[in-house]
Amino acid sequence: MPASSASMTRYILGRILQLVPVLWLISTIIFVVMHMLPGDPAELMLAGAEGGAITPERLAELKREMGLDDPLLVQYMRFLANAAIGDLGSSVRFRLPVSELIADRFGSTLALSLCGLAISVAVGVPLGMIAAMRQNSAADAFTMALSYVGASMPVYWLGLLLILFFSFNLGWFPPAGADDWRSLVLPSTTIGLVAAGLIARLVRSSMIEVLREDYIRTGHAKGLSAATVLWRHGLKNAMIPVITMIGLQFGGMLAGAVVTETVFSRPGVGRLVVNAILAKDYPLVQGCVIFLAFVYLAVNLVVDIAYAWLDPRIRYGR
Amino acid sequence: MTRMTKFGAGLLAGAAMWMAAGVASAQTQGGTLVIAWPAIQEPASLDGHIDPYQSTWMFNSLVADPLVILAPDGTYKPALATSWTSTPDGREWVFKLRSGVKFQDGTAFDAAAVKYNFDRVLDPKTASAQMRSDVGPIKSVEVVDALTVKLVYDTPWVTLLDGVRRMPIWSPTAAEKHGLANFGRNLVGAGPFLFAEWVQNDRIVFKRWADYGGWNSIQTHQGPAYLDQVTIRFIGEAAVLGSVVKTGNAQVTFGLPARFVDEYKGKPNFQFVAKDQSGTGLQHVMNIRIPPLSDIRVRRAILHAADMKAANELLYDGVYAPSEGPLNNNHPCFWEGNPKVYPNDLNKARALLEEAGWKAPAAGQGQIRVARGVAGVADGTPLKVRYATLHHKELGEALQSQLRRVGIDLVVEQVPGPVQLDRVRRRDFDLMFERQRSPDPLILDQIWNSKWDQPGGWAWTGFKNDTLDATVDKLRSIPDPKARCEVAKEAQKIIMENALMLPTLSDPVFFAMTPKVKGLQVGAEGNWFFLNNAWLER
Repeated sequence: MPASSASMTRYILGRILQLVPVLWLISTIIFVVMHMLPGDPAELMLAGAEGGAITPERLAELKREMGLDDPLLVQYMRFLANAAIGDLGSSVRFRLPVSELIADRFGSTLALSLCGLAISVAVGVPLGMIAAMRQNSAADAFTMALSYVGASMPVYWLGLLLILFFSFNLGWFPPAGADDWRSLVLPSTTIGLVAAGLIARLVRSSMIEVLREDYIRTGHAKGLSAATVLWRHGLKNAMIPVITMIGLQFGGMLAGAVVTETVFSRPGVGRLVVNAILAKDYPLVQGCVIFLAFVYLAVNLVVDIAYAWLDPRIRYGR
Repeated sequence: MTRMTKFGAGLLAGAAMWMAAGVASAQTQGGTLVIAWPAIQEPASLDGHIDPYQSTWMFNSLVADPLVILAPDGTYKPALATSWTSTPDGREWVFKLRSGVKFQDGTAFDAAAVKYNFDRVLDPKTASAQMRSDVGPIKSVEVVDALTVKLVYDTPWVTLLDGVRRMPIWSPTAAEKHGLANFGRNLVGAGPFLFAEWVQNDRIVFKRWADYGGWNSIQTHQGPAYLDQVTIRFIGEAAVLGSVVKTGNAQVTFGLPARFVDEYKGKPNFQFVAKDQSGTGLQHVMNIRIPPLSDIRVRRAILHAADMKAANELLYDGVYAPSEGPLNNNHPCFWEGNPKVYPNDLNKARALLEEAGWKAPAAGQGQIRVARGVAGVADGTPLKVRYATLHHKELGEALQSQLRRVGIDLVVEQVPGPVQLDRVRRRDFDLMFERQRSPDPLILDQIWNSKWDQPGGWAWTGFKNDTLDATVDKLRSIPDPKARCEVAKEAQKIIMENALMLPTLSDPVFFAMTPKVKGLQVGAEGNWFFLNNAWLER
C-alpha cells in the first residue's frame, strides 16, 4: 500500500516537526521562570554552607565565572543557540556537563519506569478484564474498588507502607538504594500499582464497549469459542485506547518519578532536577526540564504512531 | 605538681595505657560499617577544595588526613603536620611536616605537596567556594625545606587552623592527572581509607588502605584502620533514616531526625549520641531599620516574653541544646552573662510595649496590641512582627503562642534559601533566621561588624555602633584563643544589651548506632567524627 505508507511517513514527519515549537516554548518558559525566581545563584552557592562572609569582589568574580553578569537576553540567546545543537551547558554546582549528569542517572529512572510499567500492565489488564467479563458482579465491584484504591493512593504513602511491611517487618527488600534487582522491587511496585488502578478502569470500560459490538455477537453466533472471541477479537480492539493510556503513564513515570525516587532514596533524573531547583542551578534545571519534556514528547510520539498504525483513521487526519 | 601527685598521675596513666591495651586486644579487623546519611547533605562534588559543604570535608577526612585536626576535646592536634607556629601578629605560619608519609598512589608527602594543595585552593580556576576564604588572603606559600612550609599574609590571619583542619591534603600527582573536573571522583590522599566509588544520590564506598601509617594523632594504634569498608548511604526519606539502624540496614545513622530520638535514647539495644555544633545556634536577627523593631523596647519585650526552655520541652522533649546568646552555649566563647540579661518576665514585656506606645486593645478586640502614637506607624495598627525561617518552623509557632500572651502577633513563615537572601538584600524583614557554625568567634565579626552590611555580607540588622565594630574587628588580629574569647564575650554583651537578636535553641547532631559499633569518635563539633579507631564487634 504505497499511498498508505507515504501518508504514514508524512504523518510521522509532521508530528516530529510539531515538537520543535513545543520544545522551544518549554525552554523559554523554564528560562524565564528560573530567572524570575528570587535569589542569586552565585550568592546561594557561597552561602550554601550557611557560613563564611562573602566579599563583593568574590561574588562578582563568581558571577563572571558563571556567566551571570551578561544581560539576560544574551544569556537567553546563548542558551537557545547551545540547546539547539544539543549542548545543555555545564551544571553550576556539579561543574560537569549537564548531559553527562543526566546520562548518569537516566538509566536508573528508565529501569524504574520500565519495571513499573510492566507491573502496571501485568496487574491492570487482567483486573480490568475480569471486571468486564463479570460486569456488575461481586468480582467486578471488588476489582474496581481495588483499582480505585490504587489510583487514588498517594505514591508517597504507598511507598512508605511497602517499606514498612516488606523491608522493616519482613526484611525481604532493602528500604533504600540502587544496588541490584532487589532494590528495584519496592519502588517499581509503588509506581506500578498506582498506574495499574487507572489501567484496570480503562480496560474494563473499553472491554465492555467492545463486547457489545456486532462483530463480537457475530463471533459468538458463528460458533467461535468464548476464549477466541475474547482474546482475538475483544481484547485486541479494546486495547487501542489502553495503549495510549499506557504510553502516557510511561511518560509520566519517566518524567515524574521524583517522589518515588526520594522515598526510596534512588538516584534518578527526578531527584537531580529537584536538587538543582533548590540550588538554583540554572543550566541543570533547564537541561533536565528540556530533556524530560523531550522524553515525554518522544514517548507520546511513539504512542501516536502506534495508534495511527493500529487505527488508520488517525493518520488521514479525519 | 608535687612529687607524690606526679607519681600518682604516672600510675594512673600507666593503668590507662594498660586498659587501652586490654581493649585493643578485643578489637577485630574487618567488616563493613554502613552509615545512613540525610540525602539532603549529599555533596555536589567530593573535592573539598571546591565544594563548600561540611559533609564533603567530613568524607574527605576518611581519604585524606589534613595537616591538623580539631580533636574531640576541642584542641588542635597533629595529623600530617607534627607542629606549627605563628608569629605574634598572625602574619606568618610555619608548619613542620611528618616524615615518611606517602600518598595512596605512592607519591611522597612533603612541603612541595602541601604548597601544591594551598596553591590549588587559591587558584581562581579552582573557584573554591569556601576553602579559599577559610585559608585567607595568603600572599605566598614557601617551601622552607623538604618538611617545612611557611604561609605569609599581608594582614593577620589568626583563624587559619579552623580552615586547615578541614582542608584535605591531596596527592599532587593524582590531582594533576585527573584535573579539576574529575578529581572529585578519583580522590587520592594519605588517609585511612581509599575512595572506591560514588554512586550519586545513593552511596559512597571507602575501602581500608592497607599501607596507612596511622599518621593522625587521633589514632591510638599503629598501622591501618580496623574497618575493611565504610559505606555512606544517602537516605531521602526521614522515616527511613529514622528506622534503618533499628531494622539492621545500617549500623549508624548520622543526623537522626529529632522525632526519632526517643526510639534510641536510653535504649539498651542502641547507642545514642547527641553533639551540638558551636556557632550561633538557631538565631534570628532583628532588622532595626523599620518599626516595630526599630524601637529597642519592643525588641527587649520579645526577649522577655520568649521561653525557649518551655519550647524545647514542648517540641523536642528537651533534647535540643540551649542557645542563650549570640554564640550558643556549646561555643567555647559563650558569655555566661547571656541568660541573665532578659529573664522570662511577661509583665516586664507588657510594660515595655506599653511604654513604647503599643497599647492593649479595647475589650472584645482580641489580644493583639495596637499603636497609639508610635513614630512612623499609623494609630490603630496592630503589633505584627514577621518571623522568617529556613527550617524549624515549629519553633516559630511555639514562640507565636508565647508572644501572643503579651500582645504581639508573630507571623511565622518558612521560606527557601533564595527567598531568605532576597528579603535580606531588600532589607525587608523583622526577625530573620541567620545561622553560622564555627567554634571560632570570628563569626561574630561576620554578623555584627557594620562594615559587612553590604550585598553578599552577613551583617543584616542595620545596627551601627563604633564600639561593637572595634570590638569584633579585634577578632581578626588577636591570635591567643583565650584573649579572643574575652573579646567575643565583650561583643556578646553589647549585642544583648541592644537586643539585636533572638536566641532560640541549638540543634545538635544525633547519632544512633547499634551496640556493635565501637570506637567511633564524635568530634568537638557534632558534624564531625573519626573512624581511625572504629571497629565492629562480631
